[in-house]
Amino acid sequence: MHTAAPTTAPIPERTGAPPVIRVKDLSFRYPGTDRDTLRNVDLTIERGDFVAVVGGNGSAKTTLCKTFNGLVPHYWNGDFAGGVHVGGVDTWDSTVAELSRRVGYVYQDFQNQLVRPTVRDEVAFGPLNFGRADHRERTEEALAQLGISHLRDRFVWQLSGGQAHLVALAAVLALRPEVIVVDEPVAELDPARAREIYLRLRELNQREGITVITIEHHAEFIAEFARSVVLMADGAPVWHLPVQEAMDRHAELAAHGVPAPDAVALSAAVGARPVALDVPSAAAALRPLLRERPTAGAPEPTGASATSTRAVEAGPVPTAAAASAMAGAPEAAGEVVASLRGVRHGYRSVTGELSTVLDDLDLDLRAGERVALVGTNGAGKTTLMKLLTGLIVPRAGTVTVDGIDTRTRSAARMADHVSYLYQHPQQMFLKDTVREDIALFPRGRKVPDAEAIVDRIVRDVGLTALADRDGRSLSGGQQRRATLGIGLAMRPSLLLLDEPTSSLDIRARDDVTAMLAALSETVRCAVVATHDMELVATWASRVLVLDQGQVLADVTPRELFSRPEITSRTRLVPPQAARIALELGLDPLPLTAAELRQRLPDGPALSAAPVGPTVKEVR
Amino acid sequence: MARKTHDVLSVDWIRLELLRTAYSTRGGLFSRLDPRIVLAWYLVMAIAPWLTHDTGVLLVLFALGVVSVVLARVGPLVLGLFLIGLLGNVIGLFAASFLFGGNLDTLVALAELNLKLGAVSMASMAAFVSLDPEKLSDALLWFRAPELLAFGVSYGYRMLPILVDEYVTVFEGQRLRHAPVERPGLLGWRVVRQWCVLAVTAFYPIMLNTAKNVRTTVEALETRGFTYGASNPAGRSLRLAYLRVSATDLAVLAATVVLVVAAFPLGGLLG
Repeated sequence: MHTAAPTTAPIPERTGAPPVIRVKDLSFRYPGTDRDTLRNVDLTIERGDFVAVVGGNGSAKTTLCKTFNGLVPHYWNGDFAGGVHVGGVDTWDSTVAELSRRVGYVYQDFQNQLVRPTVRDEVAFGPLNFGRADHRERTEEALAQLGISHLRDRFVWQLSGGQAHLVALAAVLALRPEVIVVDEPVAELDPARAREIYLRLRELNQREGITVITIEHHAEFIAEFARSVVLMADGAPVWHLPVQEAMDRHAELAAHGVPAPDAVALSAAVGARPVALDVPSAAAALRPLLRERPTAGAPEPTGASATSTRAVEAGPVPTAAAASAMAGAPEAAGEVVASLRGVRHGYRSVTGELSTVLDDLDLDLRAGERVALVGTNGAGKTTLMKLLTGLIVPRAGTVTVDGIDTRTRSAARMADHVSYLYQHPQQMFLKDTVREDIALFPRGRKVPDAEAIVDRIVRDVGLTALADRDGRSLSGGQQRRATLGIGLAMRPSLLLLDEPTSSLDIRARDDVTAMLAALSETVRCAVVATHDMELVATWASRVLVLDQGQVLADVTPRELFSRPEITSRTRLVPPQAARIALELGLDPLPLTAAELRQRLPDGPALSAAPVGPTVKEVR
Repeated sequence: MARKTHDVLSVDWIRLELLRTAYSTRGGLFSRLDPRIVLAWYLVMAIAPWLTHDTGVLLVLFALGVVSVVLARVGPLVLGLFLIGLLGNVIGLFAASFLFGGNLDTLVALAELNLKLGAVSMASMAAFVSLDPEKLSDALLWFRAPELLAFGVSYGYRMLPILVDEYVTVFEGQRLRHAPVERPGLLGWRVVRQWCVLAVTAFYPIMLNTAKNVRTTVEALETRGFTYGASNPAGRSLRLAYLRVSATDLAVLAATVVLVVAAFPLGGLLG
């Protein structure tokens, strides 16, 4: 576990040094709109602060941050009133180029920010444009600061998401800015990578004194890394407070679409004041309460957990073979939907050698199972899914779905049995409206009453009002629901989803998770490849941990999160509630804040709690 | 028929071949040269064939082209496409001339054009297979090509692999979601027709997605000083400071010039 990081970094002492950013009476209206996006903003950001800007969708967080480097009003012209001073310079009299040397900006879709073919060239691009003779030193320095010097000669398309984000950050650092703005790093990255980014940002903040501003939905990161929080609503800051005070107002944050992290919610629920910001302090706050009630007497949160805990006690990490044997035992009731026997597959690289991705894999997927496929990037999750769709066939071994060997049918015919939803929804919008996209499959296959099916699915995914819009124009959560609709219209036995909750804010994510839970009525077996451990905890009935082409573990979510040796080896970060519970030594392990709440006494300790939302409401 | 994983002539192979070609991962003589010399070399090789009508001279130049293709280690995809194009052209013209009562003389008469095109194409392959995007863009910049062109070239290369991946993904989706053809017809013409339609319509989502993504790119270019750099020459000279012409560079260029010049009297003897 890596929870011991120091958290309550002091707010930078206000030594009378002038603030790095001062916003005064700022209002801004985009051209062609009839209301102000920013309204009378007053905000001061001290030099050396680590600020999280939070707020619901449409609260103008991004627009605010774009005033710092002059994109507003110099790139986005509009009605601009009031003033923004960055390091004493009035942005109105400056230019984007000049301000960008002071304020670096890393976009939410950072992949599109990379414009050069190689990493070195990408990082040197800014310094070269500004005619900096020391561009080589700057490039090396920026790469070293982020610990990515070894990526120097890579092509940008070879980078993983996390690496690409660090390169975008290095490119910004090479200009030696005073302020770095990072727009939602968690959106396009999995939580473990996003954490790495935050650790790097903290280092830059503490060691180099760079002011860091992040736009963030995930309160867990805010509580752990930020020093102060700006809550935005409706185009203006509601308040700007040190992080501890901000988290003490967790109910207010939740009302603005930023649900409290488990540590805050749980410690608040037992009356801790100030609330705990991270796992160790939450555990410390909860521990005395638990002692009063021995774990043995704790109620079972769910019936299923009893079997899984017994399995946990069984001992060491199961090998792949043992794991598949184990999987067969408790769920033998379910009929086999798909199976892999001795499957080996790999790809040719640019240099021509064959890299093996899956090696001698045996696996059965059964009816009624909700399978989560987890593991690091490159562990073979996507390859396994593509094998199941029949888009590719294995180099050795057989893949069978609904009793059909995928070698004997074309992928288009296998699509009657399996459907596969890509990670990026926009790649699935082939037609101009959501309805047409959903109808494409049933109409093409001349399914009787196709239209009625389409109507029902459009309603089920809650897109009736938006069915005639192009999928690309929808919000992230709506796009996901549209792709789910596309998958359901294919009426598959086996539904495969690649990262269905990535780049969603928490509300949209809960929406999609709920919809996945309702799938079991229509789909015999669903497989989700994911980095989202909250989804694993709340949705999955079986977790397959892939590592180096093998199944490292085939377990229930509860078992997975009870075993730090598996999660740390595969770089999985369990949900915060589970980490708190693990720290407390609870057995069986609760996986969500709600489950953990049930293990806490709801007597006197709670009555002392300040008036606030219950954990249920918060989550 | 049981399906198998193919290492060549598959979609994945085409993708890899495109990358190998674009990023000159195979090495070869010209990829070690200064990019400006490669461009100069290319100009010599590409212009020379247009200065003569002599079949003999063209034969020698064609042979030089063959040698440079070998030295540049041109990949099988590009080479295959070139051969299909060239041979298709020759055979087609021959068939046509035969139908209209021509004979082998017509073919000889047409050889001049084919040899010319062949020599120029091979020089192009050898040169551009050897230039990775960064080098090509810097060489263009050195030759005073507009800033935007030089940048566009390197940006195009940077986007290419991503667009290819996205295209493959969208095309797969097309295949899965459109109903397969029920009766293939003669030589499977209905299957072929469907593939063609899907291959073309797969561009529609990609264009829309790209249009959306590029908005960030344009904004980011502004913040990274691209417009600033375009109007300030300091950046240009810094960027190009690393370019060095070595003895090997000059030797290769000189040898090429000598051989091309020698081709004219030599070809005269052959002809």
